[in-house]
Amino acid sequence: MRRRDALRPTGSSGSNGSRRDFLRRNLQAGGLLGVVGALAGFGPNVRAARSSAENPFAYDIGKFERTNPDLIHYAETARFQSPRPEPRRLALGPDGALHMAAGNSVVRLAEGGAVEFEIALAGPAQCLGVARDGFVYVGLRDHIEVFDARGQRTAVWSPPGSKTWLTGVAVGEDGLFAADSGGRAVLRYDRSGRLLGRIGERDKERGIPGFVLPSPFLDVELQRDGLLRVNNPGRHRVELYTASGDLELAWGKPTAAIDGFCGCCNPINLATLPDGRCVTCEKGLRRVKVYSALGEFESVVAGPESFAQSVPPDVSMAKAALDAVADAQGRIFILDPLAGEIRVMARTRGTASS
Amino acid sequence: MSRRDFLRNGARVAALTGVGAVVGTLVHRTSSQTTVWQIDPSKCLRCGRCATECVLDQSAVKCVHSYDLCGYCELCTGYFVPEPNALNTGAENQLCPTGAIQRKYIEDPYYEYTIDEALCIGCGKCVEGCNRFGNGSLYLQVRQHLCLNCNECAIGRACPGDAFRRVPVSQPYLLKTSH
Repeated sequence: MRRRDALRPTGSSGSNGSRRDFLRRNLQAGGLLGVVGALAGFGPNVRAARSSAENPFAYDIGKFERTNPDLIHYAETARFQSPRPEPRRLALGPDGALHMAAGNSVVRLAEGGAVEFEIALAGPAQCLGVARDGFVYVGLRDHIEVFDARGQRTAVWSPPGSKTWLTGVAVGEDGLFAADSGGRAVLRYDRSGRLLGRIGERDKERGIPGFVLPSPFLDVELQRDGLLRVNNPGRHRVELYTASGDLELAWGKPTAAIDGFCGCCNPINLATLPDGRCVTCEKGLRRVKVYSALGEFESVVAGPESFAQSVPPDVSMAKAALDAVADAQGRIFILDPLAGEIRVMARTRGTASS
Repeated sequence: MSRRDFLRNGARVAALTGVGAVVGTLVHRTSSQTTVWQIDPSKCLRCGRCATECVLDQSAVKCVHSYDLCGYCELCTGYFVPEPNALNTGAENQLCPTGAIQRKYIEDPYYEYTIDEALCIGCGKCVEGCNRFGNGSLYLQVRQHLCLNCNECAIGRACPGDAFRRVPVSQPYLLKTSH
């Protein structure tokens, strides 16, 4: 070291030093440039951002992703995280308590989202309904399990068919209606689990076209007027049936515009307001809207700009499907499984019942 | 050494050299093609770069169709533009820029969709439409009979989802199924 120092010019502190120093400094500079270049040119995030802006083959539905503010009649009053992973469906109990099917369980939630009690299940809870007496009917993949208000299992109903895939439950005074997307029918049961009939299957003589379900989204709601509301996503409409299976009315049209149902198959889930209006949830353009009891488009609860629209490629559509329920005050609870959130929406224009 | 021996030895050396070259080429080709490029559908972002970045004039990436996932929809969002004038095969209603998807009536209200690979440029527009609204039965794959299997895939280098990866030549496709 002493010898090398002795060879340096006077006044040098090493910055203009030996060949080794020169090479070291240049290697460091080159390395830095390389790292910067790699980050700028090849980082996945940078490439992702660049790709979306430069894609000459972009699937452009941007104009449908923004909602006319005049059409939005609801505002968010609360939002909370799902207390359990994999939230799927919502239902309201007789006292207005929010119930949620999530993962392999059903939970009852307090106002702020805290778990009041939980029912553990052997498999994933696909859908649920709560009766006036507090009994909880949970649809697993191919059968229904019944729990009393304390969460004790009281019955397990046998699967109605080999293709059964339950995706919706509505509970009435005298019976229960289960939407079987695998069997393309709504199953009518009495409260003891006896199968009384099948509703909505194709029947030319009765003028029933049948459900078209490209993906497993069949929901059923029972309104105070005694009519069932059932979505028929492949035909882009909502159908109204009597309990005995007569098709009374159907409404809806295919369009990406706000007054219709977008994509190949929508709506995917339904809810009903106390006055008979219908709440619809859509996928693709993820949005929640309200229609009159006769199917006239009325307003938007939450437009596409309210939700993440881009579903990650490794996430199935079922895990991003919005669901909604409406309570006696006309508030609408929206479940966004993708975000793992529940939003409470209240009407800001008109009255809750108008 | 006589001239005859010289020629004989020379011929042997040349023959051995030739055989060695052939064997060497085969060994090299075999070892370099134990893996091939493929797209992982679970990572594909449908960015359009498969159509523009491939070194071939027409990309080796093509849309493929998993029929067991397909809903056979009348209003197929992989086939139709977002707001079609009518649900028919009019060019103005088709999403594909090259008209590479054939639509065939099956029974009310179901239709079958088939990819014409000769026309497909791998742009992924139909894939985005299908995945955005439908079951995702349309997706992109590197067609191995077209791919040059470059050491560094030009599309893979530009892929924003890092969806390109090497797969064994014995299992050259990453297929989507309903199972």
